[in-house]
Amino acid sequence: MSKKRGTGMACIFYGTGYGNGFPDVSTATVEIHDDGTATVHSGAVDCGQGSSTILAQIAAEELGIPYEWVTVITADTDTTPDAGTTAATRQTYASGNAVKIACRQARDVLFEHTRTLLGVNTIAGLAAREGIIYVRGYPRKQISYSEAAARARLAGCRLVGQGTFVTHTTAVDPETGQGAPYWPYAFATQIAEVEVDTETGEVRVLKLIAAHDVGRAVNRLGVEGQIEGGIAQGLGMALLEKVHLQQGRIVNNSFSTYLIPTVLDMPEIQPLIIESNEPTGPYGAKGVGEPATIPTVPAIINAIYNAVGVRIRELPVTPEKILAALREKEGGKK
Amino acid sequence: MAVIGTSPPRVDARSKVTGQAIYPADLNFPGMIYGRAVRSPYAHARIVSIDTSAALEVPGVLCVLTARDIPGHNGQGVIYQDMPVLAGEEVRSVNDVVALVGATTPAAARAGAAKVKITYEELPALLDPLEAIKPGAPRVHPDRDNIIYHLPIRKGNVEAGFAAADVVVENTYRTQLLDHAFLQPEAAVARLDERGHLVIYVATQYVHWDRTEVARVLGWNQDRIRIVAPAVGGAFGGREDMTLQTLVALLAVHTRRPAKMVLTREESFLAHSKRHPMIMRYKTGATREGKLTALEVAIIGDSGAYASWAPNILRKAAIHATGPYVIPNVKIDAYAVYTNNPFTGAMRGFGATQPPLAYESQMDELAGRLGIHPFTIRWLNAFRQGDVTATGQVLESSVGLTATMLQAARAAGWSLAELIPGGMEDE
Repeated sequence: MSKKRGTGMACIFYGTGYGNGFPDVSTATVEIHDDGTATVHSGAVDCGQGSSTILAQIAAEELGIPYEWVTVITADTDTTPDAGTTAATRQTYASGNAVKIACRQARDVLFEHTRTLLGVNTIAGLAAREGIIYVRGYPRKQISYSEAAARARLAGCRLVGQGTFVTHTTAVDPETGQGAPYWPYAFATQIAEVEVDTETGEVRVLKLIAAHDVGRAVNRLGVEGQIEGGIAQGLGMALLEKVHLQQGRIVNNSFSTYLIPTVLDMPEIQPLIIESNEPTGPYGAKGVGEPATIPTVPAIINAIYNAVGVRIRELPVTPEKILAALREKEGGKK
Repeated sequence: MAVIGTSPPRVDARSKVTGQAIYPADLNFPGMIYGRAVRSPYAHARIVSIDTSAALEVPGVLCVLTARDIPGHNGQGVIYQDMPVLAGEEVRSVNDVVALVGATTPAAARAGAAKVKITYEELPALLDPLEAIKPGAPRVHPDRDNIIYHLPIRKGNVEAGFAAADVVVENTYRTQLLDHAFLQPEAAVARLDERGHLVIYVATQYVHWDRTEVARVLGWNQDRIRIVAPAVGGAFGGREDMTLQTLVALLAVHTRRPAKMVLTREESFLAHSKRHPMIMRYKTGATREGKLTALEVAIIGDSGAYASWAPNILRKAAIHATGPYVIPNVKIDAYAVYTNNPFTGAMRGFGATQPPLAYESQMDELAGRLGIHPFTIRWLNAFRQGDVTATGQVLESSVGLTATMLQAARAAGWSLAELIPGGMEDE
């Protein structure tokens, strides 16, 4: 048998946000309309990772209206407030918090008027869910969001909120590196199963178990998508990808020579979502964008060692490196 | 919770699935012109002369812009504006744009770019970060040290920590130069609107920052510049630096016509940042029971010719160099270094993606030397709530590491009773 299997484990932590005391700020606004629907404005660019969907979910939850009632306008400097970069695994946390604050503010204005309609002496006595505003502890007493919003606006209330959230971090000491540079931290464990062909040096990743502490999954499918995409990128880093330079010139600047994983390279993925509930995050959420890719390389590297007893310390792990390491190991035995 | 924790359809799902989503490359305006960059073929060279006359004779070519045509500041960058928009006297990497052709068709722009005659005097290039970091090495930027950034992290006493170790493993690891390989190559359109404001549609990660950079290059007030990100086809950090934003801005302002640039995949590889290759020297010590006693790390990251996010990325590498483990004695030094290689910058994980190759390989080697399971050595040292990191930070909440370990191990069918010392697993 020239094909040998092995498993490898890797754990990581990842400090989300800009970090190191840098101003890590996101601002969002929201307006509730006559019919109870709402529009969120946020500068956050959705690069495909799904932040606009996350912000819509957070707005819907915080306002107490259906997801379909929220429109999110993003990424236009003439119309949306600065939300910071879509980077550092920070939009769910920073912009999610900003949207939550903005929505709470707008909702409180609405509740302040609605409480007089329902005979409630404080807005703490009101709650809203899926388009219905009701009295806490006496949910039969309720009013539809659209009626409440229309009546509040007719009474002159403007149901607008603005939220700014600043992620807390502290600069590290430049001499000792001491400080609290990031918050919050995400954690993950991945376990890879690989098959190594000792004749060709080819490595196939058969399975990846990916357990990620995301604080709270705002959108479970979104988290799983990030994990799957992260593993694809990690697999490429482990086994395939390298920009080759000659005298500083990139020589493989096309996908025929710079190889990224295809669907045929992808292993079976078992995503496991761990919810540790971060108290400073929106509904406990931290983030998953970058952590999703980080444990994959070492999990594969450790699985290769477990399979054939060679340790590759220079990426990517090409078949040539595997074969050379196997030959060296055999030579060492003799 | 009615909405949190559910998976409603993405707000952009329908438009993307049906092909209705609008990406910058889909936008066209009447009278629009097309831009083409002329890039340096050399990693390091002096620009002796630029002759644009033949290019300007190509039918359809409207302009050939060079450094002297920049109305504002000829520098861009997220921390230091050390990257010229259009290189004037010197090129420091093959990325550098030296001239910018505007023409009525993409073909004319290409033909014009081929006719721009640039005479270079090639200079020695610093291509190895280990050479660039040496005292007395020639400088990549005359006014800046080659060491862009150095962060030391010191905790405890590593000599004492290694003396207390029963086993010490020492290895060097190297990661490679990587491309983000996002689905959509760079595309941008700039136009002057009815107010005379400049509007730029671009696939970017941060519209407000792009506005700051464009305003600086043009010398304009920020309120007259509008940046819009239509649909973005992936980014992964590769859209944080200026690529086309400042170029289409220059073309639109110079010609008073809408200007578009769309890169081929081949040019996209040249235009945006890459992942920092890192050289990581690791020395890790543990007791025979598997408790970590000391860690000594040196990391050198190649920033290429421009800084981009290098200080922040090597800082992140240093702070994450321990892995998620309690280590009482730590000495870490991380360096970001200029070379004449293509510039590197943000990429998914931002400096925390490279060290795990090293720290997790070290953990397995220690486990192997000690004859204990890889799970067990990690379990013995894993961060838990209240633990303190190498930077002295107390992990106050949501430390779900051991929960991820348990769930992953169970899914793998591992016997936790055998792997956890004392058989405890109810964390």
